[in-house]
Amino acid sequence: MNVLPLYPNDVFGFPTGLLLGTLIGFAFGFVLERAGFGNAKNLAAQFYLTDTRVLKVMFSAIATACAGIGLLAGFGVLDLSLLTVPETFIGPHVVGGLLLGIGFIVSGYCPGTGVVAMASGKWDGLMSIVGVMIGSLLFGFVYGPLEGFYRSGAMGSVTIAQALGLPFPVLAAGVVLMAVGCFLGAEKLETIFAPKASRPVPASQPAVRNRAFAAMGALAVIGLVSVALPARPPAVAQTSLAKIGAVELAQKIVAAPQELWILDIRDAKSAPVTERIPGTVTLPEGSTAAKFAATLPATRTLVAYAQRDVADLPEGLRAFPGEILVLAGGFDAWKGAVLATPQPPAEPTPVLIAEFRMKSALNGYFTGAAAAPPPKLVVKAVATSAAPKKGGGC
Amino acid sequence: MQPPVERPYWNPYVAGFVLGLVLLTSFLVMGFGLGSSSAATRLAVGAAHLVAPAATEANAYFSQYVGPGKKILEDWLVFEVLGIFLGGLVGAYSAGRLKSEVIRGEGVSKGRRIAMAIVGGILMGFAARLARGCTSGQALTGGAILSLGSWIFMMCVFAGGYLVAPFVKRDWR
Repeated sequence: MNVLPLYPNDVFGFPTGLLLGTLIGFAFGFVLERAGFGNAKNLAAQFYLTDTRVLKVMFSAIATACAGIGLLAGFGVLDLSLLTVPETFIGPHVVGGLLLGIGFIVSGYCPGTGVVAMASGKWDGLMSIVGVMIGSLLFGFVYGPLEGFYRSGAMGSVTIAQALGLPFPVLAAGVVLMAVGCFLGAEKLETIFAPKASRPVPASQPAVRNRAFAAMGALAVIGLVSVALPARPPAVAQTSLAKIGAVELAQKIVAAPQELWILDIRDAKSAPVTERIPGTVTLPEGSTAAKFAATLPATRTLVAYAQRDVADLPEGLRAFPGEILVLAGGFDAWKGAVLATPQPPAEPTPVLIAEFRMKSALNGYFTGAAAAPPPKLVVKAVATSAAPKKGGGC
Repeated sequence: MQPPVERPYWNPYVAGFVLGLVLLTSFLVMGFGLGSSSAATRLAVGAAHLVAPAATEANAYFSQYVGPGKKILEDWLVFEVLGIFLGGLVGAYSAGRLKSEVIRGEGVSKGRRIAMAIVGGILMGFAARLARGCTSGQALTGGAILSLGSWIFMMCVFAGGYLVAPFVKRDWR
């Protein structure tokens, strides 16, 4: 339904992607040049508050793109779950950020603007890029002892919207508001610090500025409207969650595991997962159950399970094109019904005995009791003549 | 041919808005945003691979870039950064700013300026690999998609810059 983003939806292939990448990069480089970022003096001025062009351009760009994403995702045109969110690693992000900031003021460029300066004929820009290349190699040489730190504080792909439990467009509107506040503050600071350094205060151009603010604000407000709108079609589809019982799932795993995709949708970050249902699909590193589900072919039934019952599936899981079942009661129910040793029935009726045998067999199979044979799910006639059909029905 | 007369820079908010639209386009088309530093990394690792293939492939970090069947320059970001260069070139030429020079503060020697550019670049190259991105891939792109780590990174970039700025003030006078 939502065709955006194009590439993850297989609208075009890798070679076309490279061509489009060059075009997008061209626009990026052109705008950076027009913003004045091909000249180190314009960039360094940010850190002496004589000209806060860096903050203005960067934060306007973030606010605009953020509000645009919020708007399109809010109206269901863009699938937010298919966008790549850089993963969070607290330690490396703090230390890397500080070091990059120091490198920025020392060299006068950041890696992207260095390329633009180089293209503008600035030798210092070229040399900063040479430095970036050397620094990259240096990192590789010390990677061994650094690897532990490099992977520390891993939180996965987490957005501030998810962390706060707020819809994306609401956060985007917050970013736009914050940006405008910062801009007004920065303009005020320029009027203080530029004269001190005997430099001209950057021209304010309020008419142009206000039009840019209005454009960003409009994106944010329209995005907010999408949040206020009543539930959209996907929300309607979410009302029905087909369930499967723990015992029934156990029988299916034994009888026909090749007909199932079993997905663990518990949040591994909030609580480390040590136990899983046998046959659970192992996710590739960095992927989430929802992302991975979208890549699976619809040839099997997808069974999702959490720790307990779930009210709803994780965002994006419904991208799986085939049948989706949810384990009723989650992993807790699995433990209770399959992993716990079944109690013999108090009143041994044929039905209960057959059920007990079946559960014992499943229990032996899944708890790894030594050499436990797979249970024969086709029930043999129980001693009594009134053997009902029970236990084989999977 | 007469080079074009120098044009003024765009209003920063307008430039930012247009840059935001470019970034948004990247998300809508590719599903991810912009970047730069890793293209320089790939170029450097590719060069190292030419000089010392075995040692480069044996390195735990570089082995993600080079090895059997891996083409280090066949990467989206390499092409995107090629685009940045071309866009910057066309932008600078058409605005009359394409000029061979060393940008430096008053009274700063060319040698010192070049040395500072390299030292700062080394710091950035190292930092960008540690943080898995630079101002483009983390601050701009991760910022727009509201990645928690990217916002932490961005705050720290500004913090690092402001912390050290007083010590290199004479370079930017």
